[in-house]
Amino acid sequence: MLYCYSKKCFTVIIILMLMVAKTGYAAMRDTTVSQGNKTPDWVTGTVINTDGKAIKDVKVSVRDTKNFVATDDKGHFELSAPVGSVLVFSVPNYNVTEVTVGDDKNITVRLIDTYLQSPAKVNVLYGTQDAESVLGSIATMYTSQITATNAPTFDYALPGQLAGLYTQQISGFMAFSTTPNTVGSPYVVGNNTATENIRYNNNTEFTLNLRGQTPVTIIDGVQRDIEQIDPESIESISVLKDALSTMLLGINSSSGVLLVTTKRASSGKPSISFTAESGVQNSLSLPTPLPAAQYSYLYNEALTNDGQAPIYTGADFTAYQNHTDPYGHPDVNWFNTILRKNAPITNYSLNVNGGNEVAKYSIGLSYFNQSGIFNTNPASTYNTNNDLSRYNINSDVQVQVNKNLSVDLQLFGRVQRATEPGAGTQNILNALYTTPNNAYPVFNPNGSFGGSSVGTAYTDNLLSMTEYSGYINNNTNDIMANLDLKYNLNSVTKGLSLKLMGNVSYESVIYLERNLQNPSYVYKDSTYTAIGTTSAQLNSYNTISTSRQSFYQASLNYNRQFGNNNVSAMFLYDTKSAVNNYDLPNVTTDKALKLAYNYEGKYFVEGVVNNSSYNRYPPGYGSGWFYAGGIGWQMGKEDFIKDNVDWISSWKWRVDYGRTGNNNIDEYSYYGYAQTYQSGVGGYTYYPIGSSYGTGFTFVPSPLSVNPYETYERANKLDIGTDISLLKDHLQITADYYHDRYSDLEEVPGAQISFLGEPYPYENIGINLYHGFELSATYKNNIDNFNYFLTGNISTQASKVIYDAEADLYPLSEHTGLPVTAIFGYKANGFYETAAQAAAAPTLSGYQPRVGDIRLEDLSGPNGKPDGVLDQFDQTAIGGLKPLVFYGGTLGFNYQGFSLSVLLQGVFNRQIDIQSQLTEPFAGIGSFGYSPQGQAYTDATSRWSPETASQAKLPELSFVNYQYGGYNSQFSSFWLRSGDYLRVKNAEIGYTLPYLWANALKLSSIKVFVNGENLFTVAGYGGEDPEVYPNGGNYPYPTQRVISAGVSVKL
Amino acid sequence: MIAMAGCKKAETFPVDHVSSYYVFNPLDSAGTNAQAYLYSIYNELLSGHNRVSGNYLDAASDDAISSSSTSQVTILATGAYSSVNLPSGEDFWTVTSNSGLNGFVTATSSYWSAIGYANEFINNIGVVPVKGSLPNGVGERWVWQSEARFLRAYFYFELVKRYGGVPLLGNNTYTASSNLQLSRSTFAQCITYIVNECNAIKDSVITIQSGQADNYRVTQGAVLALKARVLLYAASPLFNDPSASNTNPYIGYTNYDPTRWNLAAQAAQDVINLNAYGLYPSFRNLFTTQYASGNNEIIFIRPVGTGTSIEADNAPVGISSAIGGGITSPTQDLVNAFPMINGKAITDPTSGYNAAKPYTDRDPRFAATILYNGTNWLTAPLATYNGGASRPLNGQTETLTGYYMGKFMYYPEDTTQTTFASHVEDWVFFRYGEILLNYAEAENEAAGPSPAVYSALYQIRARAGIPAGTDGTYGLGTTSDKTALRLQIQNERRIEMAFEEQRYFDIRRWKIAETVMNQPRMGVSINNSGGTLTYNYVPVLTTKFVAPTMYLYPIPYSQVIEDPNLKQNPGW
Repeated sequence: MLYCYSKKCFTVIIILMLMVAKTGYAAMRDTTVSQGNKTPDWVTGTVINTDGKAIKDVKVSVRDTKNFVATDDKGHFELSAPVGSVLVFSVPNYNVTEVTVGDDKNITVRLIDTYLQSPAKVNVLYGTQDAESVLGSIATMYTSQITATNAPTFDYALPGQLAGLYTQQISGFMAFSTTPNTVGSPYVVGNNTATENIRYNNNTEFTLNLRGQTPVTIIDGVQRDIEQIDPESIESISVLKDALSTMLLGINSSSGVLLVTTKRASSGKPSISFTAESGVQNSLSLPTPLPAAQYSYLYNEALTNDGQAPIYTGADFTAYQNHTDPYGHPDVNWFNTILRKNAPITNYSLNVNGGNEVAKYSIGLSYFNQSGIFNTNPASTYNTNNDLSRYNINSDVQVQVNKNLSVDLQLFGRVQRATEPGAGTQNILNALYTTPNNAYPVFNPNGSFGGSSVGTAYTDNLLSMTEYSGYINNNTNDIMANLDLKYNLNSVTKGLSLKLMGNVSYESVIYLERNLQNPSYVYKDSTYTAIGTTSAQLNSYNTISTSRQSFYQASLNYNRQFGNNNVSAMFLYDTKSAVNNYDLPNVTTDKALKLAYNYEGKYFVEGVVNNSSYNRYPPGYGSGWFYAGGIGWQMGKEDFIKDNVDWISSWKWRVDYGRTGNNNIDEYSYYGYAQTYQSGVGGYTYYPIGSSYGTGFTFVPSPLSVNPYETYERANKLDIGTDISLLKDHLQITADYYHDRYSDLEEVPGAQISFLGEPYPYENIGINLYHGFELSATYKNNIDNFNYFLTGNISTQASKVIYDAEADLYPLSEHTGLPVTAIFGYKANGFYETAAQAAAAPTLSGYQPRVGDIRLEDLSGPNGKPDGVLDQFDQTAIGGLKPLVFYGGTLGFNYQGFSLSVLLQGVFNRQIDIQSQLTEPFAGIGSFGYSPQGQAYTDATSRWSPETASQAKLPELSFVNYQYGGYNSQFSSFWLRSGDYLRVKNAEIGYTLPYLWANALKLSSIKVFVNGENLFTVAGYGGEDPEVYPNGGNYPYPTQRVISAGVSVKL
Repeated sequence: MIAMAGCKKAETFPVDHVSSYYVFNPLDSAGTNAQAYLYSIYNELLSGHNRVSGNYLDAASDDAISSSSTSQVTILATGAYSSVNLPSGEDFWTVTSNSGLNGFVTATSSYWSAIGYANEFINNIGVVPVKGSLPNGVGERWVWQSEARFLRAYFYFELVKRYGGVPLLGNNTYTASSNLQLSRSTFAQCITYIVNECNAIKDSVITIQSGQADNYRVTQGAVLALKARVLLYAASPLFNDPSASNTNPYIGYTNYDPTRWNLAAQAAQDVINLNAYGLYPSFRNLFTTQYASGNNEIIFIRPVGTGTSIEADNAPVGISSAIGGGITSPTQDLVNAFPMINGKAITDPTSGYNAAKPYTDRDPRFAATILYNGTNWLTAPLATYNGGASRPLNGQTETLTGYYMGKFMYYPEDTTQTTFASHVEDWVFFRYGEILLNYAEAENEAAGPSPAVYSALYQIRARAGIPAGTDGTYGLGTTSDKTALRLQIQNERRIEMAFEEQRYFDIRRWKIAETVMNQPRMGVSINNSGGTLTYNYVPVLTTKFVAPTMYLYPIPYSQVIEDPNLKQNPGW
């Protein structure tokens, strides 16, 4: 109880602690201020940021004059400005602020960061680099763009913000799993499904696709797929898209990188910031189930269509209509019964930063809590909802031990606890979507749970599953320690330094089951019959996964300028070892050399070569040489532009090309290249021998045929780009073209002859091409204090299967030459409207279509001509043929502390498969043959029937045709709909209180804000959410609209 | 110095992955792992209970239909298959993948995999010094090898009876880089190979299941029974065409040789001469009684275990204390095939058949095979009249013919029982009853009606519970007409071996499928009007059979394309 209370009062406690700290700190503060005015018009002052830290190099000018100065290291400035004149403060990455000179000749001006940042140094793999000298293709977003989204993972902030990165949310909040999550988005490669390098991961909600590949996540220089980091502690997230930028990853360099850099210690006065944010979530796009009266009417229609006798009578309809018999004729909208309208989400974050040149520190502490969509029983003493609560701690201490040696120690920890109802969130969602309104009442007359004995699907009451089934806990704990040593070797030769890095981390995911199942009762003729498998509350504890990882890196760096010649070189060695569960360690090693040279910052050349290896390949096939090189030309510095075209401030061209590797052998097997034997194939672990059926353990070769030459996949990647800055840097444009050819893709040959007796092994045979354009443009400017910006990006992603060893069986469904994303199926063309049409229709496995069935086209046959039979010869590419185009745009302003940002995101040329319970009424449940009992939704009313033929959107109702490969449920273009959408993904309105007010409270700044996620959507197929939608038998947790309000305090 | 920590040695290969040396261990006189490997070859034998997508294969013959119209077995019954969509339950050619442990992909359900496993074993078992030997001195490792050879021969026969001649791989094992574009061996070569294998191993396997521990093992009886069945098929009209019009050596003999029936009869006689087997007295309990419990009719089985899954899949619906799946609906055609208790066919005016009481006084095998309206089933007489508890007509899976399958089940016809009783569910591949029928058929074809032929049939009928009758012919009468007796033998085989995966192939090898499968399948619709039952016979499914194409399955389209040397069967 105390625990709960203190959790609720977290905000208050933190605020109180801060006030105490602040008072103490204020007492220490130097209050003497220089008062010496030199002339009556002399103005002095200090420029600070919202952390209260001084900003140097701010250009302070008097409007309409040429009079200006720049602030010094302590943010001080002095200049002559008469009373009434306007001082303009401008510096990159802060909003331009104008202040009218008044009587107070000593002023403190606080500048607010711009929403979009473009620092001079950008984060690259294992370090930072001058933005000017980057030759690769990198897109970056900074803190403000991340924190505007109140969500459990930073993935929610990515859509629409980074050119080249396509995101799709695949599920709402699902913090829970009882099996290890792995990342690697499956994509179809020719006749095979292949996936990326497989890794343990916490991201179950988004698929990320960077130029067609799932990027590797690297956090502060270490590959770690943890996406549940406090957004406030993140300085930037970048995507590294080209070969040169990722080459230091060697054998893992093909995928692209999602580079996350957390905030590190910075010297200066201690600054403390605290943000509290709280919001409500609403489920989007929940379907509307049919009321029981309508359901039973349509059920009869389906039976009649199938030539069966109707089972619902007129009396049944009346009872359903009037709800006169709630036990015998229930009509329960389960969505309203077990789901709540909204659920809270809360986020607290505390960051402390400060120190001096000898020692500096940064500590971040955050608490996040997200509640689930289920109703809970108020009488229950424990939580049964699917909730997530998480503490993150991130600390960084940097010490300059002596002139040459600095030490940086970073510790990161995460303690996360997720809860879900004992019956399991996914099980409840599946049951929720498939249970009809009239299956059973919530409660029987005696208060027991209702249930149905028709079939076996409705023997567990949904309310009982949701609120009375106990709970399951899932606990994830992470710890990571990172030690960096930098040693300056200027004594050996100028510009030389050594960096050593050691990193160890551990993650464990465990779950605790305290679930139970209550009996449900069938109430009939005044008697109660118990049904379902009841179980008493369990107490079981299991480990889902553990992962230990260590990473060591040593690099020797050389950086020196000789006149106009800038030279840098790096030799790097690193080794990463990970142990997942009981597997042997997997070890990746890189030995890389990087050389870069530029002349006058005008002509650039850079090259990297990496000898990289992975230990799980057959001997001799696990290591290789990977390399990349780039050249650049800063055309804007050439005289012909510099002297003639004053609206161009910078124009850089860059090209890079490289040969990368993709180490994904673990995706296919665990040391599968060698012939081994295993037990338990084909569902039997033993042969039942003897009269008492004893255990004759089986052992078979698995598989007989293995590939002893399996090796990593390769890619040749070309990127051509340009960065243009125009109109005094107000307009910035970046454009890229990429052409990535992936080869040696692991695939199974299409031609498989059965006499081998085994499926053929994976071989390095496939070749795919990905290419596309990316364009982003940003315009920033101000009108007096009104600072506004507009930024947008658009990317195309096209692909082509160049080779995939197809079997040449079905000419129409050959993948070679088509996009990797091609979708295959039958071609549909409306419905059969007349009996004559249906009688002449091609058959499917002997089934003669009926009136109201989907018209599937008979395109071909074994002889290359239509043969009146629908089979593989008639399946062809029906979608996914156009390049995917996705875009995002943000606009916003800041005016005297008022700020607004709106993020739009969208995609076109995308298609989705809408087959699900929503579009296939009554489908879903049955053991042998069909025993159709599934739910139906309002979509069912738009079915084909003789009366509604002209407006029909779905085929005739039927049990036979929707189930088990039934005719209408064949995958055809009928089920493929536009997945295009445009979304107001995020919007934030904020107000930073004037400095005077904040200062009066002895604070540096106070900002209040309101933001929203998924505010508005326009979708090509409007029936469902375009991203998170039921698909086949998969009923995902619905996506949420989140409206949050919060306050951010800095002292 | 930190980097040094990364140089610790790690295992370079997981020793928990079992290598070939460990399986065929030259030091292990118990041969534990080698025996486990042998079990996995046995494991490729499939129980026929609800094998084809939840149905008996016989639901694709004229004996039954599936209660689910969308079942894959219906595709077989209605001839709606082609070389690209033969239902997976009957496609023993294509290797399908199955994700195993550690991401390994393994094969299932292809006899080519099974043959590959057997060859691997046959080639390697020689190095394992397994202790023990047969009384005739054959070492245990060679006994195991012979068992693998029997299984391989059995797998080949399963392919040959479906496809005709197939490539014979010998003892070869292949890798992905081998040239696998093999040609078919002829039908004659395949039969010769299988028969030679049987001859070669018949003295190097155990003679009979000696105790309860080896009830699953290949015996001399099993080897000879396989040979008898193979020779019976080879002599049948489908492959041994009396008109000698076949010129395609892959689909059958290219000549007609009536002496093939003599070989078949002799092979069956060889099993009988073992004097190790006999008919189990109770036809009803034949399938629920183990060899170890005195059922010496059983020659070779696929052990399954004990349980009630046959009932769960096939027993009547609507009995709340014991809910069955009702997936198998026996046809009126099968019901009509059962004679009366006096052994006379119901079409015989002297049989005593009463159309108003069609189930009274029938051959006892009828009640042991089919559950009909009014039969005692657990709590009460079965109600399969329209609207009855077991024929509710409510859209769920329920009988479509008015009958449920009752064979293989354990039901004491005791209305005090309320739930299913767990019982033995083994699948019987070879039993002595089949041997007698094989003998009768082959001997009749070879030499015409004879006392020896009748003797075999009398044994079958006597065990069934049909009285010998005043003329001592068990209702069969006597004839000297080979053709008339052939029809009686065919009918006897149909009712004796219903649902045992015989009828589906019998109607093919007798070449009668084009007749019987092109008639509508019939069921009964019983109206109950105040206790008065009226029986209407109604068509329930239109089956289809395209002759001669469908007498053999098509080789999968993909295989014919990828292996140009592989000749497709005619018509496909």
